[in-house]
Amino acid sequence: MNSPVAIYVHVPFCPSKCGYCDFNSYALAGDIVGRTVEAMLAEIRRSPWRGRPAKTIFFGGGTPTFLDADCLTALLDAVVEAHPPIEGAEITSEANPGTVDQEKFRAMTRAGFNRISLGAQSFVPEDLLRLGRVHGAADVGHAVRAAREAGFANLNLDLMFGLPGQSSRAWRQNLDLALSLKPEHLSLYCLTIEPDTRFARLDRRGMLDLPDEDAQVEFYDLAVACTGNAGYEAYEISNFAKPGYECRHNLCYWRGEEYLAYGPGAVGCFAEPAGLRTRYTNQKHPERYCEAIESAGDLWCASESLDEGVLRTERIMLGLRLREGIDHLPSLDPHALASLRSRGWLEPEGARLRLTPAGRHFCTEVAAALI
Amino acid sequence: MPQSHIRNFCIIAHIDHGKSTLADRIIERCGAIRGTAQEQMLDTMDIERERGITIKMTAVRLAYTARDGNTYEFNLIDTPGHVDFTYEVSRSLYACEGALLVVDASQGVEAQTIANASMAMNQNLEIVPVINKIDLPHADVIRAREEIENAVAIDASEAVLCSAKTGEGIDDILEAVVHRIPPPKGDPKAPLRALIFDSHFDTYQGAVAYVRVVDGSVKPGDKIKMMATGSTFEVDTVGVFRPALEKAQHLKTGEVGFLTAAMKTIGDAAVGDTVTSAAHPAEEPLPGYRKAKPMVFCGLYPSDSDSYEDLRDAIEKLRLNDASLDFEPETSVALGFGFRCGFLGLLHMEIARERLEREFGLDLILTAPSVDYLVHRTNGEIEHCSNPSDMPPPNESAFIEEPIVDSTIMVPNEYVGTVMNLCQERRGTYVRTEYPTQNRVILHYVLPLAEILLDFFDRLKSSTRGYASFDYELAGYQRSDLVKVDILLNGDPVDALCFIVNKQFSYQRARAMVEQLRKVVPRQQYEVRIQAAIGAKVIAADTVKPYRKNVIAKCYGGDVTRKRKLLEKQKEGKKRMKQIGSVELPQEAFLSVLRVAE
Repeated sequence: MNSPVAIYVHVPFCPSKCGYCDFNSYALAGDIVGRTVEAMLAEIRRSPWRGRPAKTIFFGGGTPTFLDADCLTALLDAVVEAHPPIEGAEITSEANPGTVDQEKFRAMTRAGFNRISLGAQSFVPEDLLRLGRVHGAADVGHAVRAAREAGFANLNLDLMFGLPGQSSRAWRQNLDLALSLKPEHLSLYCLTIEPDTRFARLDRRGMLDLPDEDAQVEFYDLAVACTGNAGYEAYEISNFAKPGYECRHNLCYWRGEEYLAYGPGAVGCFAEPAGLRTRYTNQKHPERYCEAIESAGDLWCASESLDEGVLRTERIMLGLRLREGIDHLPSLDPHALASLRSRGWLEPEGARLRLTPAGRHFCTEVAAALI
Repeated sequence: MPQSHIRNFCIIAHIDHGKSTLADRIIERCGAIRGTAQEQMLDTMDIERERGITIKMTAVRLAYTARDGNTYEFNLIDTPGHVDFTYEVSRSLYACEGALLVVDASQGVEAQTIANASMAMNQNLEIVPVINKIDLPHADVIRAREEIENAVAIDASEAVLCSAKTGEGIDDILEAVVHRIPPPKGDPKAPLRALIFDSHFDTYQGAVAYVRVVDGSVKPGDKIKMMATGSTFEVDTVGVFRPALEKAQHLKTGEVGFLTAAMKTIGDAAVGDTVTSAAHPAEEPLPGYRKAKPMVFCGLYPSDSDSYEDLRDAIEKLRLNDASLDFEPETSVALGFGFRCGFLGLLHMEIARERLEREFGLDLILTAPSVDYLVHRTNGEIEHCSNPSDMPPPNESAFIEEPIVDSTIMVPNEYVGTVMNLCQERRGTYVRTEYPTQNRVILHYVLPLAEILLDFFDRLKSSTRGYASFDYELAGYQRSDLVKVDILLNGDPVDALCFIVNKQFSYQRARAMVEQLRKVVPRQQYEVRIQAAIGAKVIAADTVKPYRKNVIAKCYGGDVTRKRKLLEKQKEGKKRMKQIGSVELPQEAFLSVLRVAE
């Protein structure tokens, strides 16, 4: 198989761990950082998929920009060498507004990155403090301007809503500030309390003052309305883009395409003969990951084989998130479909089915009814 | 063995006073089992050993060579140690001429000591008091003697002192059995009369009846007749307990043993029935037979509705060995197909549940236990009702009677106030107080059975630091101001959750139930109204607001597997939801509410 494929690179380091975060990220420093980069370079160079062209490349984390420009460049060079990008390939890096400057952005565009995704989260200083972010409210504007000057013509801002103590007005202001920076793409996430995080512990003790479900629904509807008025399309549950600027890398996930992944804790999913898929997870902790690479040990800490039934479930679960929806499969339960349509959650769109604006609030419910 | 050398006796005691250990020592001393490793060999079920109580009694035949040089045949008959099984105790006492009344030297006389002793005295048994655990540092033999004399009203001057643990005094007990307990009377020439005091079911032999031959004798080939049921059988085998069953040629007057006769169900060998000769039947049966009557009822449902047939098989098998277990099929809107089961008491219910779950691998839902009410309808008819959902509406019943018990509570002085408060709270009627010793008191109360089904015993124990002991016997019915409280979800009654309660507690219980439900009913697409009502009158209500969203904020390549598993779990959980009208309830919600009701 030599078809173009999405490539993900996981940088597992952060300046500090945020209170809500359950990603595979570590606030580590010192030798382990350089050692991990070396191991990642080795992993990419030895990749069994060498030669498959890259459809998209995405550096995520963690905080990729925790690494210096040379490391980022070396890693991207290695990926490009192993997976020559197709013409016009989207090459993204996530960045924390507190870990970047114009110089680093310049080095990144020189290296070949053409899309930047900034983890802004909020423009309210108290929010950022509470979330445990390392950047200040003003850093976001500076970072956007620096990125633009460095040549990034495709820029995303991540924002969160449903934050502790957040009012509808404060969220509205955040949205306006974000829109005023004219990003091509916005990711707007409702804060989710994940188990085993600092926020989960605070929440259990009743110390988070989270907006209730009604407020969360209102905030989301507000986000859809504001971005819609500003010319963005809600092409996925939490993702909004100017026409033509949808994140092509992430679309691969939602469309159930293959993706290859490198780095500690990175998750990849590749096609096997006979229509099956294998999904794997690399060793999560940088130490374990380095050991596995250095001693040619077991690189995967988990893998699963996805059969037709599982793939169908995933296609429904992920496809419903997209505005383009899912294929109207003959295997879908007609009673469930009729019931979901009568509730006004699902609508046909040509040969496809998609969530209505009301149905988007119940995406999981709809998926559960259809799988 | 001449009849004069037979001694049939049992051991009676309050729970934990060392009955089973003493039985083990006696068995060992008589050499029935050498170098035994397994403690408490008369308790055969795992559950009995775990709970330290005897549920299913057994018997053992022992040979004892006394100090007078003669060898005696002892039949030691074990008795169940719990109030649920009082009837079985009374039958096993009837198979004996004497009883060892065991009293813990450190605890003294307790409520069950008194209850068991008075039962033994009513059957004219010779009672040999035994003061056990004299090796304990806080053993108080003088006080124990005093309590036996005052509370049980028997002469304790010749009480045997022993420690079943160390073996001290065991020989004295055996000598006392020989000299103080009379040999069986009975007429060897009279027509056969044998009392069935227990039974078990054997897959190959059918029901095995444990009998005490009172008159005549029985041997294989004899045609026998059960006097209460009227059915006839031909005896296959007879034998004795050593304690394993050992075949014998015959059972003669005064002997204790077993017989098999191809009896297909345990009901053919009903405890309390009299076995007689089919050819020359006795004129009068032995006294005291009655059918075991269930006191406590509950619905038993498989938590997975697909295992209904498995549950039926399991209950039928359990009943083979437990004639007092009553059951009939029942359907609940909320829980599907199951059985309404009757038990002798709460312990019996718990044991049945544990055996069904453990021995048959079932996962069960039990509805809240109920007693058997007598409903006097406005048209004059009287009917039994043991299922709250069958209770007629208030306008159709003139009044309702509920079962009551005579209870005996023995407690140290300082807790009398606490216990009286508890009894008042549980609608008890004070009867009288006795003072067996300076610092112990016996309280007599009439209590509604339904009130002790809840957590009465636990409350009694915890409010007296474990010092109170408790015993009760049924005392008929009493008119009571009872109401049925329905629980409704969006107007639809949930049959499995309705309950019967005294009117004065109805608001409190209804409120608690509604609150608990509000906590466990998941938010749904629609608002859910939870109501508790008596007839058409709503006495407590609450609502669960509809959910507004169910969506994952982000889902990228690394999240897919975990999110998919969550989704599959949600789907699986939905399948197991119980649909009540328009409301979906997870299984767990039911369970937690029913637990509160317990």
